Amino acid sequence: MYQALLTRRYLFSKVMPLLAVVAVMLCTSMVIVIWSVMGGFLNMLINTGRTLTGDVSIIWPTTGFRYYEDLIERLEKDPMVAAAAPMIETPGMIHLPDGRNEWVLIRGVEGKSYAAVTEYADILWWKPLDKPLPKDKLGEDPRLHGIDGTSWKQIYENGLKLERTNPATGEAEPAAVLGIEVSRFNYRELGGFYTPRTRNVPQPDGSFKMLDLFLPRSGQVTLNVLPTDTTGKGVETATAIFPVANEFQSGLYETDKQVVLVRLDALQKMLRMHPYTAAPEQEMSGEETFAAAPETGPVHVPGRVTHVLVRGKGSEENSAELKARVWEIYDEFAAAHRGEVPLSPTILTWREMNGTFITAVEKETALVLVLFCFMSVVAVFLVLAIFWSMVAEKTKDIGILRAMGASRLGVAWVWVRYGLAIGVVGTLTGAAVAWAMVHNINPIHEWMGRAMNIQIWDPRIYYFIQIPNKVNPTHAAIVVVGFILSCAVGAAIPAGRAAFLHPVKALRFE
Amino acid sequence: MLSTGTAARALGADQPDAANAPLLRVDNLRKTYYLGRVDVPVLRGVSLRVDRGEFVAVLGASGSGKSTLLHLLGGLDRPDKGSESAIEYQGRALGAMSAWELDRYRAEEVGFVFQFYHLLPELTVLENVLLGPMVRYGRLRYMARAKSARAEAEELLNTVGLGHRLRHRPAELSGGERQRVAIARALINQPTLLLADEPTGNLDHVTGGKILDMLMEVRRRRNQTMVVVTHDEETARRADRVIRLMDGVVVAGQ
Repeated sequence: MYQALLTRRYLFSKVMPLLAVVAVMLCTSMVIVIWSVMGGFLNMLINTGRTLTGDVSIIWPTTGFRYYEDLIERLEKDPMVAAAAPMIETPGMIHLPDGRNEWVLIRGVEGKSYAAVTEYADILWWKPLDKPLPKDKLGEDPRLHGIDGTSWKQIYENGLKLERTNPATGEAEPAAVLGIEVSRFNYRELGGFYTPRTRNVPQPDGSFKMLDLFLPRSGQVTLNVLPTDTTGKGVETATAIFPVANEFQSGLYETDKQVVLVRLDALQKMLRMHPYTAAPEQEMSGEETFAAAPETGPVHVPGRVTHVLVRGKGSEENSAELKARVWEIYDEFAAAHRGEVPLSPTILTWREMNGTFITAVEKETALVLVLFCFMSVVAVFLVLAIFWSMVAEKTKDIGILRAMGASRLGVAWVWVRYGLAIGVVGTLTGAAVAWAMVHNINPIHEWMGRAMNIQIWDPRIYYFIQIPNKVNPTHAAIVVVGFILSCAVGAAIPAGRAAFLHPVKALRFE
Repeated sequence: MLSTGTAARALGADQPDAANAPLLRVDNLRKTYYLGRVDVPVLRGVSLRVDRGEFVAVLGASGSGKSTLLHLLGGLDRPDKGSESAIEYQGRALGAMSAWELDRYRAEEVGFVFQFYHLLPELTVLENVLLGPMVRYGRLRYMARAKSARAEAEELLNTVGLGHRLRHRPAELSGGERQRVAIARALINQPTLLLADEPTGNLDHVTGGKILDMLMEVRRRRNQTMVVVTHDEETARRADRVIRLMDGVVVAGQ
């Protein structure tokens, strides 16, 4: 009973224990913030990877494989599969309206099937918006108001279909959808939305021309790709001009800066992977054939894709099971097209596709945590040092208690309890501070940018545009319990010292 | 209290001749302190007895071993090896008691009053006094009797004239007032033996006299056995018996 009374009084009557509380609070909040941000970063990485590639990908890069429609049909008949979509992925170069050339990753997709497998419909940026983004307090997002009579609905539909109507002909043409950071024409405002920039471009005659840099309205880009034959040799650079239908924001900066989506059939044509009909002896330049059986009439050569993306019906945790099932289906497919499709393509789950990066981030998270935990051992020694000096200061009290009949264990418990109290108050306050910090980390970061011109979280380095702002309750609980126990350990040694103080020496202590 | 206390049972209070035996019997008590390589014998064969209800003053100059004797009688320290059975309380040797039994002995049988009061500065006057029952009874047993303990503490503090200063901190009290709080704290558990180490040594003559009056009043009311260590002849004069200590040896009043 006296331990509770003394703990309470010792805790609030001196500055030193309050300093210990502050130290524990800072260490706790530091570890929780780091774990939340790094863990959130990892989760965002994993989830974003999944939203762009589905659960499982069947890959035969560069040359691709035929009969993908049959494979997709077989996959979609399976109860484990929700949808499957074809895709071509190839490196290429984009020529932008201001004259810049950038290396990009070009993906050919069918809008509808791609949206069924990924979160494509959600990540299209230019679309009608009912209410402003949470951080757009003034409602300045152009999607709320429009840009010079732009129809957001039309632009959104253009994006879904990956096409745009040519005003001259009235016909829909295959179009490109760029990652929102590809063109660098969109300025990301602090409210989290983008405003298209305008730019004066110098002309050969010395004059300047104001460019309309809102690409989905009337802009176009030129894409250059290098088709290869079955031996991997480049054939002839293919170039095509694409109107821009829309732009997308995956949240993963690297993707938003590098990926350009175009309609599958258009990219197939550029890469000479499109279906065609030819005489048996006739071969398109650079085209391989998968040993088609000799025929007398014209031969229909099916188109090829480099990827088939699969989305499962279960949760993301079932990716491994889905992968095994996809392998079975692929084996059946390969048996049906023996000699015409690769026997052992690469089949990867979304996690395996980003495995190297995810593992690296996991290791980085673990390393940072270990480093910060080492730093937090300081808290233990701080409590130990403070308690050591407090035990010295309270030596006489210990003697008095012993003279009144308090046992060694009872005296030790005063100090361990005291350490626990500092731990509980410090860690819970620290957890609350961490929660507030993590929850408001983006506004805080933006304020630092405005007020001090400091940008700690550079999206070009950390990939994501937003800093993760969720605290994992389990992680927070582990940190809180860990620090409380650390404080108890820090207090245990001085407590032992107090318990074994000779009562007479303690009473005579000056 | 003796017939019901845990320590009293442990100490053999149920023995048939316990009532007639001296409360404390000290026989050839030796205590040496070891300061590095130097042995400092403080008590060199002290023998004495204290009967129930007796007020014994231990008189001696500084360094004569008075306080050491008091600490040994109160179970705060242990005698030299070979001298473990030198102190008997109600027929049982303190040196033979376990650490737990000594803790109980101090909590239930003994009340200490020190020269420098030794109040806990963070606690109020009332809390300092209540510390006694808190230590003695432990959490659950104390909670069961918290109200009565508080009432008793308030009554004791009223008796010593501090009923109006229950919520004051020791730093807000005068020396005499602090010593009165210390006396109330020593008496709250109704100890059989009150041990006081220079209770007036840190007070002026008038205040010291008042404290002594108070102790005499306590003794009269409760038939309290008291052993008071002092170097003050006036305090010694009011005792039933005076034991004079010189260089660790009893020279008179044994």
